[in-house]
Amino acid sequence: MVSKTEESLLRQLENQVENGGGGAWEYLSLVRKLKLRRSDKVLKHGLILLNDPKKRSALGPDEWTLYEQVAIAALDCQCLDVGKDCIKVLQKKFPDSKRVGRLEAMLLEAKGSWAEAEKAYTSLLEDNALDQVISMRRVAMAKARGDILGAIDWLNKYLEIFMADHDAWRELAEIYLSLQMYKQAAFCYEELILAQPTIPLHHLAYADVLYTIGGLENLQTAKKYYASTIELTGGKNTRALYGVCLCTSAIAQLTKGKNNEDKEISKLAAAALEKDYKQISPDKVSLLGSALKTMKLQ
Amino acid sequence: MSNGGDCKYVIHQNAYIKLVLHALNHKTSAVNGVLLGRLSGEVVEITESVPLFHTSQIGLLPPLEIALITIEEYYSSQGLSIVGYFHANERFDDLELGSVARNIGDHIHRYFPQSAVLLLDNRKLGALRNKKDAAPIMQLYTRDSSKSWKQVESTGTSRLTTKEPSANIVLLDFISSNKWNEIVDFDDHLDDISKDWLNSGLFK
Repeated sequence: MVSKTEESLLRQLENQVENGGGGAWEYLSLVRKLKLRRSDKVLKHGLILLNDPKKRSALGPDEWTLYEQVAIAALDCQCLDVGKDCIKVLQKKFPDSKRVGRLEAMLLEAKGSWAEAEKAYTSLLEDNALDQVISMRRVAMAKARGDILGAIDWLNKYLEIFMADHDAWRELAEIYLSLQMYKQAAFCYEELILAQPTIPLHHLAYADVLYTIGGLENLQTAKKYYASTIELTGGKNTRALYGVCLCTSAIAQLTKGKNNEDKEISKLAAAALEKDYKQISPDKVSLLGSALKTMKLQ
Repeated sequence: MSNGGDCKYVIHQNAYIKLVLHALNHKTSAVNGVLLGRLSGEVVEITESVPLFHTSQIGLLPPLEIALITIEEYYSSQGLSIVGYFHANERFDDLELGSVARNIGDHIHRYFPQSAVLLLDNRKLGALRNKKDAAPIMQLYTRDSSKSWKQVESTGTSRLTTKEPSANIVLLDFISSNKWNEIVDFDDHLDDISKDWLNSGLFK
């Protein structure tokens, strides 16, 4: 997950690089550090660096890291020749390297030679069964082939070993969501909240899933998690503010207004939304007003 | 007429292009959108579209409910209703209409019985540059009396057309100028309410 400062730095570097202002290596390093998927830009600017012998030697040992980064970006953009060339350079420099072996297997994946890629990964794992990255590739391959249930299977096996991998839990939750397996997605978010209780995104996602499953108890719990999201974000999360309003409206509908629900919090959330829209998006204030009215009347 | 059994669907260029550009803006995930328009006799005119989500939010109710309430409010003042749903799958070769899309389609169908579900055909999108085709690069699904979404075959007279015959040419033009970078969807708006999900400045 990217912080706001990192995001604005990234955008700034991206603009600079795209408009010929230099800073390509800083941009590429930031993308690598944040593990972002910007393959078309990485490919474009990485290749410019690699094809310039002066710039390439100025990188020193980082040259090889760049070859790896560009290779992966090339595979993602289906520029298989570029990918192959980069991998060849790395093979020459680092013969018998497992890291290069992984790239070779990814090339097979990009070509669609699934069985061969599978064989390559299995043999790489024989020597090092605890290689996280390669274990993850198996999940990615299953997903790419459309074998979603297989991906879930592999991911669950992966999480049995690497249960602290939060990104993996999030990926699993998202796969469950795409299949509308909401209860299983909820379980993943519960694990994430336990592991990282101060990350508001987990609370928000959990609340969204509970609301989607529905039922009075879930709606009441969802409301609590929207509230904790609001607290953790200092009231700045639009989705959580809307969420509180939706929960109040849905609970009122379910109980036909009979229970003594705390409507105070939704009034506060509605007021906060109105204040934000007035300040930032004034042309949509009246729309917000009618939407809120619709929810209260429901 | 109580179902979409015999309706024809005509989609205006701007609505059509917005949806495809949205999909191109988020190549690595599924995206969806709503279709707005009106019924004129036996033709459903899709005059507008709003791109909705590009994250895993697609399967979740709260953002969808907020979006539908807000969009309905805005467009009803223009005499338009929600007439359908657009979906683009995450993977290139996935041409199946998944359960999330079907469920959202069902919900929209309850309020507009002639509603359509459009699924982006990635292969046709990829082939667009080489094969000059005026047909929309989407598959049309309608709900028949069996209460399930069935694909309408595009043989003979197509039931889904773009209002302007040159829509695909304009689309290709926008694609080559990376116009997709300017598309704002409801997800973007919820993350930053200064972003305009109406995309009012897009085609100016």
